[in-house]
Amino acid sequence: MTRRIHVALFADEAQFLAAARTCRERGLALLDAFTPYPVHGIDVLLDVRPSRLPWVCLAGGATGLAAALLFQYWSSITDWPLNVGGKPFDSLPAFLPVAFETTVLFAGLVTAAALWLRSSLLPGRKPRRELPGTLDDRFALLVAHKDAANDFAETRALLESLGAVACWDEMEDAS
Amino acid sequence: MDELPIPADAISAELEDLVFAGLPATRRSFLRAAGFGVGVAAVAGCSRAPVQKAIPHLTPPESIVPGRAYAIASTCAGCSAACGVLATCRDGRPVKLEGNPEHPLSRGGLCAVGQAELLSLYDSQRLDGARDREGGIGWDQADQLVVAELARIRADGGRVRLLTGTVHSPSTRAVIGRLLASLPDAAHVQYDAASTSAILDAHARSHGQRILPRYFFEQAQVVASFDADFLGTWISPVEHAAGWRQARDPEAEPPRMSTVVQFEGRLSLTGTRADRRVRIAPWETEPALARLVERLGVLAGGRAPSASAGRAETATLEEVDAVAGLLWQHRGAALVVAGAADGVAQDLVNRANVLLGAYGRTLDVERPSLQKRGDERALEQLRQELAAGAVDLLLVAGCNPVYELPDSEDLLAGLSATAMVIACSPSLDETAAAAHLVLPEPHSLESWGDAEPVAGFCTLQQPTAPPLRSARTLRATLARWMGDARGDRELLQAHWESELFARQDAIGSPAAFFAAALSRGFAELAPQPVPGAEAAAPAPAGSAFVAPADLVLVLHPQIAIPDGRHAHNPWLQELPDPVSKVAWDNCASVSPATARELGLRAGDVVRLNAGERAIELPAWVQTGQHDRVVAVALGYGRAGTDRFADVGPEWLQARATVESGGTIGENAAPLVARTAAGRVFAGAAVTVEKTGRRVELACSQDHHTLEVPAHLAPKGGEVRDPARELAFAAWQADPEHALHRGHHAPGEGELWAADHENDGPRWGLAVDLAACTGCSACVIACQAENNVPVVGKDEVRRHREMHWLRIDRYFEGAEGEERVHHQPMMCQHCDHAPCETVCPVLATVHSASGLNQQVYNRCVGTRYCANNCPYKVRRFNWFDYAHDDALENLALNPDVTVRSRGVMEKCSMCVQRIQEARSEARRRGEKVEDGAIRTACQQSCPTQAIVFGDHADPAGRMARLAASHRAYGVLDELGVAPSVRYLAGMNNDPLAPARAGHAETGGGHG
Amino acid sequence: MAEIHAPAVRPPTILGDKTLGGITSDVFAPLDRRPTRLWWWAFLSAAAALLLGTVCVGYQIMVGIGTWGLNRTVGWAFDITNFVFWVGIGHAGTLISAVLLLFRQRWRTSINRSAEAMTIFAVMCAGLFPVIHMGRPWLAFWVFPYPNARGPLWVNWRSPLLWDVFAIGTYFTISLVFWYIGLLPDLGTLRERARGLRKKVFGWLSLGWDGSARTWARYEVACVLLAALATPLVVSVHSVVSSDFATAILPGWHTTVFPPYFVVGAVFSGFAMVLMLMLIARKVMHLEDYMTMRHVHAMCKVIVFTGSIVGLAYGTELFMAWYSGNPYEKFAFANRMRGPFGWAYGVMVFCNVIAPQLLWFRKVRWSLGAVFLITILVNVGMWFERFVIIVSSLHRDFLPSAWTGYVPTWIELGTLLGSFGLFFTLFLLFCRFLPMIAASEIKAVVASERHHAPVAEGVAAEGVTTENVAAECETVEAAA
Repeated sequence: MTRRIHVALFADEAQFLAAARTCRERGLALLDAFTPYPVHGIDVLLDVRPSRLPWVCLAGGATGLAAALLFQYWSSITDWPLNVGGKPFDSLPAFLPVAFETTVLFAGLVTAAALWLRSSLLPGRKPRRELPGTLDDRFALLVAHKDAANDFAETRALLESLGAVACWDEMEDAS
Repeated sequence: MDELPIPADAISAELEDLVFAGLPATRRSFLRAAGFGVGVAAVAGCSRAPVQKAIPHLTPPESIVPGRAYAIASTCAGCSAACGVLATCRDGRPVKLEGNPEHPLSRGGLCAVGQAELLSLYDSQRLDGARDREGGIGWDQADQLVVAELARIRADGGRVRLLTGTVHSPSTRAVIGRLLASLPDAAHVQYDAASTSAILDAHARSHGQRILPRYFFEQAQVVASFDADFLGTWISPVEHAAGWRQARDPEAEPPRMSTVVQFEGRLSLTGTRADRRVRIAPWETEPALARLVERLGVLAGGRAPSASAGRAETATLEEVDAVAGLLWQHRGAALVVAGAADGVAQDLVNRANVLLGAYGRTLDVERPSLQKRGDERALEQLRQELAAGAVDLLLVAGCNPVYELPDSEDLLAGLSATAMVIACSPSLDETAAAAHLVLPEPHSLESWGDAEPVAGFCTLQQPTAPPLRSARTLRATLARWMGDARGDRELLQAHWESELFARQDAIGSPAAFFAAALSRGFAELAPQPVPGAEAAAPAPAGSAFVAPADLVLVLHPQIAIPDGRHAHNPWLQELPDPVSKVAWDNCASVSPATARELGLRAGDVVRLNAGERAIELPAWVQTGQHDRVVAVALGYGRAGTDRFADVGPEWLQARATVESGGTIGENAAPLVARTAAGRVFAGAAVTVEKTGRRVELACSQDHHTLEVPAHLAPKGGEVRDPARELAFAAWQADPEHALHRGHHAPGEGELWAADHENDGPRWGLAVDLAACTGCSACVIACQAENNVPVVGKDEVRRHREMHWLRIDRYFEGAEGEERVHHQPMMCQHCDHAPCETVCPVLATVHSASGLNQQVYNRCVGTRYCANNCPYKVRRFNWFDYAHDDALENLALNPDVTVRSRGVMEKCSMCVQRIQEARSEARRRGEKVEDGAIRTACQQSCPTQAIVFGDHADPAGRMARLAASHRAYGVLDELGVAPSVRYLAGMNNDPLAPARAGHAETGGGHG
Repeated sequence: MAEIHAPAVRPPTILGDKTLGGITSDVFAPLDRRPTRLWWWAFLSAAAALLLGTVCVGYQIMVGIGTWGLNRTVGWAFDITNFVFWVGIGHAGTLISAVLLLFRQRWRTSINRSAEAMTIFAVMCAGLFPVIHMGRPWLAFWVFPYPNARGPLWVNWRSPLLWDVFAIGTYFTISLVFWYIGLLPDLGTLRERARGLRKKVFGWLSLGWDGSARTWARYEVACVLLAALATPLVVSVHSVVSSDFATAILPGWHTTVFPPYFVVGAVFSGFAMVLMLMLIARKVMHLEDYMTMRHVHAMCKVIVFTGSIVGLAYGTELFMAWYSGNPYEKFAFANRMRGPFGWAYGVMVFCNVIAPQLLWFRKVRWSLGAVFLITILVNVGMWFERFVIIVSSLHRDFLPSAWTGYVPTWIELGTLLGSFGLFFTLFLLFCRFLPMIAASEIKAVVASERHHAPVAEGVAAEGVTTENVAAECETVEAAA
């Protein structure tokens, strides 16, 4: 089924945050917000769960470290041991720099990849919503009704009263 | 390479017929030729029989296994010393020359020049076929011309003169004798570029025989040498060096150590190794010798000394007195030698040697040396005859008078006044260019020959390859003119089986005698009685004009280029002179004091005026030289050396080795003085004027002393000690601690636990600095063995010479009083090689047998290894070095990769020889026995200063040396654990006990 | 840093009463305009230098390393000097974007984008040299441990050069990713503003960025994580580079002080380079309001600080050389100071230790000309530092017989010039086609300052210009 949602554009971060807060108190559902820069506080109002990227990063790093150490040992002790300058085959101290760099490399790439995939930021992908100026100086708030009971006009009036410079409603399929 | 020499007569004779005469050949000889033909023919473009139908060894002839080296015993013709060589051949061509260990004179040594003879065999500029002034003519036509001329001369008289260098080939001398006998007025005149005529004349006066004694330095406990460079260039250097070495062995029980006192004006190689060195001006030689004889006379109980000659410094005379005492003390084991071309001086030398009872002990006239037979007076006479146009036919062979003699203009005039001038010369040299007929002689490695360097000792020279050029030996040529059409080998064999066979009784049959001589390379016979000389004329005061002057000239032969013949050999041109370390040039050397006085810096081009002659040369500042001496090397400035114009890489900022039309160095022969006694090489007054021009000399060493520059050193100065020397006295007193300087023992304070144990061999070298003379034979041996490229003057200037083995030469001590160290420096094959750790791609790693291996085809060329090498022995291929002289490429050793551009290379300890010996031993199921492997540098060393061996075999010779108290590792304190051990040099100077202390701290304190 | 202790009177990061829209147009307008004559002039000369460099490198690869002035003893000179120099330059970018982010230094926002760009271009220049310095550069890929038909033969994990491969590779990758992620919001804005082909391109590059609050939340976490990774990375990279020398046995190379010494030196030269570029950019691109005197100040102070540490490092080296009692070590430094390359040592000390000290004086900091000159001196000095370390240590080591000199050839000089050409060409193109300033971050900063730093508005109110901020900052410092 489709439902009707409200899109409100604000010109000021403070008004935008206040509006979001009010809507939430009024029992309206905050679907999403689009802002030109990260607005702190809005994520709380939108119930965004804290990101798990740090764990992904850790996993990536661990993998890199293990891979590097294992490969260095295998290649210089098991696969083809060579006498290099009379140094022992397992010259651990000499293996550390490469191990460290690989750790960082894996961690970094995995983190970035996770970010892109999770936020489905992929080459050639169309933005989910192109709202006028949200990448410039406008703050967009998407509000929906919990149930059909509420009155659109009322909501729009509310949003405008909260300082929305523009406000309209759209249909979207809620599935 | 250790195989017994196999008689090569069979091979070569047939090859000769086949490829030389182009006659139909047997299948076998044809196949033998074929393998070679593939090589030469295709490339050298000499179109002879095997060339058209070159096919591979389908059926390998016995004794030649393709890809397997075999040795042919022969005789070196690099100079007149006639050392024994073993030519290592592959597929019918020589790829390396080595000393013949059984040869009684050279005893296995072979000098740099001898090593380099290999390359001159493959010289693409050698003449091909007889020619007159217009160009090539057939041999027959040439012969007809000469025979006709000779017939005319026989009929209506006429003078025939034969001008040669020393001819010590019995068979050739026989043929010459026959020719001279057949002519009304014919004479054979011999001269040597570096003349010893005065010595022979002196003996004519003192012994009634015009002979050159044979010197036994092994017998000499004390040697007083007046400007005789017997370790470097004098008469028979390899033989002398071997003897000198025999008299000096600190490891022997009891230790042996002779004393050499060198009186000289320039700094010769012998001077650098002398235990005591006295700088004297040439005009002091004669008075000094006079004083010596007087002193010896007194010591022998003669009359009191008269007032000493005025021309010598008192200091010199005091030295002489001291030395006289020392000589007398060791009479019977003492020797006096002089290089001076001065009759009076040589007479004095003979008297000194008589007084010392040296004859029959340290020098021998019973079996004299025949290595130099030049007669300056005969030469002078011939010159006058030529000038007078009184010669009808002049045959010049084995020498290049127009280049070698002074006043070449007069000589040329004389030649043009001569009806027929014939030059037997392998290349179109200065003399050949002026001749009516040029009949090229073959190279000694492609032709038959023999030599009698010492009376009663004959060596054979046999071909190691089919002739690369249509050429004919003097022997064959003369024989043919007398209607004897036999080939070289027949003539030679005939002479040996008749004449020489008769002079021995060891072997019964002539054939067996000849065969034995072939496989050994020589035969020992009864000496022929030397004809008595004509009534001994009084000694002409050859040095009458050698008077004190502001500056006097000393002209000398150079180690690398002993005479002009070798100026076309790139290996020798690029070999840095052991004393000055300058390559690709001869220069006007002056002492530092004189340089300051004249305001000269090395590279300033100066004009040397001697009499009306003048040449321009770059100056060189040579410490250790007498302040009044200007020393110039002969043998440079040969015509046609601009062939080297484009040797070395071509790129934007490259500078040509020599501008086209120019020459490498300058010919100093015009400055040689002439007296009634002949040429005099030292003592002529000279003036030096700056031209204002400068050239950059190619010197392979920038810093010449062990002391670091004073302004960078702590108070009291800092002396580094890579090369160390001990006083013999100190060594005898306390061998254990003679060298002790609180250095870390190798392996002390290791960071890593001892790893990589292996029970196999651990190869290493021991280098005895007490034996090394710096002669650089090893450098060329290494170059020949390992295909080291020639890079040209500019690259040497840029310090990019490629020699895997270099000889570091250090001066130490006060200016003029220096001790000189020669230190062969090659890859030290460190057990903890710093180069290996830093290579990102594992292109250099350690072998199980302790070798530091360089993997050319893995190397990407970061040069990190070279940066991290404390010995700086790694060599980088900065460019693709030219290998486009296809004929020259035949000298390449097939066992060793030719490195491509952009890869690092270095001494491999001749790993190819190690592998060959090991697989051979494995085949026989034995382990490689000590001494079975000899590196190229070790093999050629006349003094056996380098010994290869296994550190894991304590009984081995090398390991024993490495255990000596003299042994140390260069930069041991770094803990890189080098596998090459050096044995400290030894200096035995009884006249300067103070020196003992000096030499002990001599090496300084690292 | 006086300002930081006096937040109440801190002048705004950005001058002029910028609205969000104003910022957008300020940052993106130059990209729509035609390039100025000045830009063209700069670009063409940079491109010319790049062309020259390309020719030199091409010739050297065709003919051989011999076309450089190296010899049997001096195996490295310009090549590795340039390598270390450029890696060092790169470090400031990472430091500014990562470390200052972690330390929440707001002022970084105006310059971090260009600093990061600089990092990437500098690392590209640096990466060039280890490849072309090889005798056989076409085999450079052998330094990677890839399965091959030679055994497989792997690589020598003990070689610092190999560590370099991994360090530089990682450094470049991570910097690029970090930079790109930082670019995403602005790429989105670009997409919005552009039309036609550019819209397509930016549409593709911006990965469909839409500024959703959920994305912003993850985005910020990711940025902090990458910053946290980049910080140790930047330290490790120059430490690894320094081990090329520190792990060798050469006197003058074999020194434990090298890793910190090199890292600080890198920051030092990097900041100098950033500041230099910044001074140019703010003029050329008219960004005085964004790259203010306050930035100049902050960076001057970093430079004088790191410069002093570098001086300390030089001193430490000398002391250790003397204190070690190792004759080779002593000689190496005597030779470094008074030997044939003593003049280079002099240049190094003057440019790196003496010249920056002028920045203690406020007057000097205020004259942009002087600051510009000092930044150039510092870069010259830091290039010479590497040259001195490499060549003066190599040319006279253990055996006197092996001592040589070194003279560069035209090819080497051309190659050095070429690397600058590459760097500036890339940088100028970046100025033309991408926003030099992280607009979204600036907006955040401006907004927050407007809401949390009311005092600043007083300043903002009276239409601030560089001049009276200068005056105002005087009072600020006086107060401190």
